Amino acid sequence: MKKIFRIWQDFGEGLRNGLVPMLSKEMRGRTRNWRGPLLLSIYLAVLGGCVVLFLWLNSRGSTVIPQVGLILYSILVFALMLLLGAIAAVVAATAISGERERRTYDLLLVTRASLAGIVLGKWLASVVYLLFLAIAALPVLGVVYFFGGMPLKNVAVALGLCLMTGLGYGALGLAFSAIFRRSQTAIIVSLITVFGLIFGTLIISAIVVAGNPQVSYNPEMTPQITPPQYVFLSPVVTMASVLPGSGQGAVSSFSGIAQRLAGGPGMTSYAMGGSSMLVMSGGPGSGFPTGYTGTKVVKGLAGWAPLAKFTLYQSLLALASLLVATFAINPLRPWLMWQARRRSMKQAANLSG
Amino acid sequence: MIMTRQLQKHYGRVQALDGLEIEVPDGAIYGFIGQNGAGKTTTLRILAGLLVPDGGSAEVAGYDVVCNPRAVRNILGYMPDFFGVYDDLRVGEYLLFYAAAHGIRRQAAQKLRDDLLELVELADKRDEFVDSLSRGMQQRLCLARALVHDPQVLLLDEPASGLDPVARVEMREILKELRRLGKTILISSHILSELADLCTHIGMIADGRLVRQGPLLQMVEASQLQKIMLRCHGDAAPAVKVLECWPGVTALQTVNDRIELQLAGGAQEAAALLKELVLAGAAVAHYSIQEHTLEDAFMQLARG
Repeated sequence: MKKIFRIWQDFGEGLRNGLVPMLSKEMRGRTRNWRGPLLLSIYLAVLGGCVVLFLWLNSRGSTVIPQVGLILYSILVFALMLLLGAIAAVVAATAISGERERRTYDLLLVTRASLAGIVLGKWLASVVYLLFLAIAALPVLGVVYFFGGMPLKNVAVALGLCLMTGLGYGALGLAFSAIFRRSQTAIIVSLITVFGLIFGTLIISAIVVAGNPQVSYNPEMTPQITPPQYVFLSPVVTMASVLPGSGQGAVSSFSGIAQRLAGGPGMTSYAMGGSSMLVMSGGPGSGFPTGYTGTKVVKGLAGWAPLAKFTLYQSLLALASLLVATFAINPLRPWLMWQARRRSMKQAANLSG
Repeated sequence: MIMTRQLQKHYGRVQALDGLEIEVPDGAIYGFIGQNGAGKTTTLRILAGLLVPDGGSAEVAGYDVVCNPRAVRNILGYMPDFFGVYDDLRVGEYLLFYAAAHGIRRQAAQKLRDDLLELVELADKRDEFVDSLSRGMQQRLCLARALVHDPQVLLLDEPASGLDPVARVEMREILKELRRLGKTILISSHILSELADLCTHIGMIADGRLVRQGPLLQMVEASQLQKIMLRCHGDAAPAVKVLECWPGVTALQTVNDRIELQLAGGAQEAAALLKELVLAGAAVAHYSIQEHTLEDAFMQLARG
């Protein structure tokens, strides 16, 4: 019992020794060097550019679109999600490889900070930075309120989703940063993986659904199909489900595209209500070669709301990535240590014998 | 305090350490000498818990570096040969960061920071950014970082490399102060004159194996060769003729009117040579036996 308590105590101490100094150092560093303000400027310029471009395009037409606020909101939230996902991956991808390149890595490993503490500290620092970026985007999102029609709850959920995207993809970037020695390699691999998860999963899903022999243009002959689980690794489908009006059959073009890519035009979910009921509906004339009909109550994980599923998958992705990162930064590989321990014990036995 | 037994390490086909056995007594300053690629840095990295040996074992204060790396880290300070600094931290913050990573509470850490900066003579640089410091100052700061948790043992890998003469003298003075504080220091260097001035013990390594180790004086005196310098008045040819034929004479060279050589044996052999030179008609104006240096001992061993 004492031994277990001691192990826990050591674990907690190592975690704190890594987490606290790493978090404060990273946050201090981001506010001091030129990269932080530059990144923030580019980020806000892209978001602001989206608003200006949309309003300019909208002002050119003679007719006024009634849903202009909702469409602008959809565009902004999508851009925010992409930006936060990419920034999280890039920022985290330089976290550990940067230590190696700066030659501060060894100095860190000989401290009493545990490997998990170092990794968690790095990850949490990027999480705090993401939170800062999300808050910085609020004034831009506020433009939507000039046009009205957007409940505050939706904005909060969308921001939460963007942050969740950043958490998972940030941890993924950190794992690549621990695996690859060079920051450049880690950044490239992270971005490819992140965009693969965001869009690749949807494209694969669309191809799989289109290639399904059971799916036909005839709604009578097509059975109900549950969308593949891997599409929930992408925030796009979940984002589509939390956009206002998606529950009533798609409002924005973004919502419609996302749903179509994910598994059919009728895949709508009442995620906002927290229901676990997944409704498959649609039919001919939807513009997509599927014919989902009727409704079906799906039980288990498949029946979870997209937001819940996305949260679960991002959490699992983050957990797995952090474990990989912790393992990868360990200079003493466990199997080599095990061999060395055995050798050491044998040697001690020989000496005493 | 530090002991390795049959330590082995290879990188692919390259055998970096081949049964290395060193023993560093408590409170000693152990100079670890060897040519580039001899295995010094590999040994230090194994002792610091940054590498796993392929064979053998290493202990620091009785703790096996593989079986008990955490305990070793608590009592060991490590300064690598090449290291970086966080360019966005100030000198004081840099030390506080490592103090926190060693689990030292903030208040104690602040006191420690001031003491350490005083020790390495960087107290007036406390609020400056680390990257604005000169190389010598960064070396001293890194040494202060290695001392932040008050370790019993220090592993210093080429601490004076890349430093100008003034910075080297400053570094040497700090190490002497640490010796007075009772730290056991394992220092790898190829600047032998500095080690001779600083170390109590010496270990010579070649091709991953220990060639010789022991107290400094013993190591220097173990050299079987003595360096002789002589100067002739007028023609030096008779002297050179004698020296070329004299058994035990090596490394004979003439620089202007000065003749330098190495002679095997002791004072008796040196006296016999002088007698022979005079008998051969050489006008010897100056004849001196130079003191053994660590460099001589190392060069003798390096040449086999």
